[in-house]
Amino acid sequence: MKWKKLGKIFNPVDHSLINNCVEFAQSPQVLVFDEFVRIYFSTRERDKTGKYLSHIAFVDMDKEFKKVINLSTKPVIQLGDLGCFDEHGIFPINVVKNQGRVMAYTTGWNRKVSISADASIGLAFSDNGGISFEKFGKGPILTSSLHEPFLVGDAFVKVYNEEYHMWYIFGTEWITDPSEDAPQRVYKIAHATSNNGVTWVKEGKKIISDKLNSHECQALPTVIDFDNKYHMFFCYRAAIGFRKIKDKAYRIGYAHSDDLKNWIREDSLAGIDISTEGWDSDMMCYPHVFKCDNNIYLLYNGNEFGKFGFGLAILEEF
Amino acid sequence: MFKWKKLGKIFNPTLTSGGDWMREYAQSTSVLLLESCVRVYFSCRPLPDSTGKYVSYLGYVDLDRNDLTKVLYVSEKPILELGDLGTFDEFGTNPASVIKVGDQIRIYYCGWTRCESVPFNSAIGVAQSRDEGKTFVKLGKGPVLSYSPEEPFLLGSPKIKWFNNTWYLWYASGSDWLENNGKPEPVYKIKMAYSSDGIHWLKEGRNSVAVKLEKNECQASADVFFYKNQFHMLFSYRYSVGYRAKEAGYRIGYASSDDILNWKRDDSKAGISLSEEGWDSEMISYSHTFELNGNMYMLYQGNNFGKFGFGLAILED
Repeated sequence: MKWKKLGKIFNPVDHSLINNCVEFAQSPQVLVFDEFVRIYFSTRERDKTGKYLSHIAFVDMDKEFKKVINLSTKPVIQLGDLGCFDEHGIFPINVVKNQGRVMAYTTGWNRKVSISADASIGLAFSDNGGISFEKFGKGPILTSSLHEPFLVGDAFVKVYNEEYHMWYIFGTEWITDPSEDAPQRVYKIAHATSNNGVTWVKEGKKIISDKLNSHECQALPTVIDFDNKYHMFFCYRAAIGFRKIKDKAYRIGYAHSDDLKNWIREDSLAGIDISTEGWDSDMMCYPHVFKCDNNIYLLYNGNEFGKFGFGLAILEEF
Repeated sequence: MFKWKKLGKIFNPTLTSGGDWMREYAQSTSVLLLESCVRVYFSCRPLPDSTGKYVSYLGYVDLDRNDLTKVLYVSEKPILELGDLGTFDEFGTNPASVIKVGDQIRIYYCGWTRCESVPFNSAIGVAQSRDEGKTFVKLGKGPVLSYSPEEPFLLGSPKIKWFNNTWYLWYASGSDWLENNGKPEPVYKIKMAYSSDGIHWLKEGRNSVAVKLEKNECQASADVFFYKNQFHMLFSYRYSVGYRAKEAGYRIGYASSDDILNWKRDDSKAGISLSEEGWDSEMISYSHTFELNGNMYMLYQGNNFGKFGFGLAILED
């Protein structure tokens, strides 16, 4: 596989955003229309205590990804009520067209005391082409269970052969390390299926092997089919030191499958890596692959987890 | 209509010289009938930390089968460890419900975690014992019953039963957090889930019993038993705020059902209420009924949410 980088295509600091958000455009994910592509992302405001709240916004771009046509001017989805799983942020959002509606799988965040936060996956629907979403209940559709005790998030949903497939992550451990001020999390990629997109059955295991070590953190799985194969891109990093040390930071991982069940990890085939300099030279994270017209694209964030926007690559060879 | 005769308080944790983990509270009892004794599980607490916050553990006392007012043994350590960093039961296990099905002894318990915007959240865990209920091992680090679109937070107060080859779990489920001038108070109602294995649950998805006091009435501790050709439920209910005072505090309610699904509430039939004075004169709650030697008994807690122990009653009518 060979990707050609097209550079950064959106920088949040160049625009005025909703909810008093000033920086961050994380985890870009698309809804493709005939005339334009709607790219959802998570941006952030600071609350009264100085902590971040993540909000969903979108930008509509032309199909060359050169021009901003429109930017969301109203909240796309409200944060949750007091005590709810998505009270302190929604990041990311995965959108799926479904019989005239748009379904959104959100990762909601709520703050804890002994650790920074927990997460669960929520569902919302839009009847106006994805301009705004109404939640399906106050609680999550996928959350902690006996063997997936916390941090259930990063849903990516696709329908194959009339079955809904969700790839997502779940937390396995919170670890403490003298080099970090606070406990750090470990999470892995998993898979669930559904016949309606609402009620899900977890496969109940991690599906992507570790490359770094057992504390490797794997996030944001995104799946696409071409060349008679299923391809998964994701990001992975070390559990400790990933914010400051380049070698510990997020990279793009890759796995392939013939049956949507068994995945073979082969990062060397991903065909994309950090640049030697520039906006994606320290880390690459939160990949999102999609088809648009006759091309296959990869949206992703670079340095500082997408504080200054996201970029695009196009698949040249496979 | 039931009529319960009170036999007085039978255990006070503040008067035992046990471990530091059991200094106050003996809440929310659940009984395991053994050949040698009646083992009564409850939730207890060490003294609060410097910020006034408590954790809670599960322990038990063994009562004499022929004289339930006689305590034979007090457990020396918790039956279950608190959860790892970041897990749902890191800060407490309260309450629990024990069951023996075939050779299996399981305990379903409510685990507590601490949050930033509200004081806490909870979900229901499960553990298994292989030593007659002296110790339990969790079946996983996470909960066996957790949140869903219509049950967004605070799943607790589990009561496990097994009728006609089906596992039933009555539990309390949070619907709202009331702002309450910066001191959020939760609202919760009794719900039910059922299962063929006690692990994979289907939530019925509706309130089991109607409200009486107010829309935000809080309900918990749904103790269901089959007696004289009918299902009976004793439960606890209170007002949503101000419930630490006598007027708004916990009382025991009652509902009956022919089909285990549809419940008719009639609190006047509970047959037990506050005493004029003494240890159960301000609140009465968290009842647990069991049958022994041809009699029906009820364990329950009184004032201060069981801070000073639990008492016993026997069914007369």
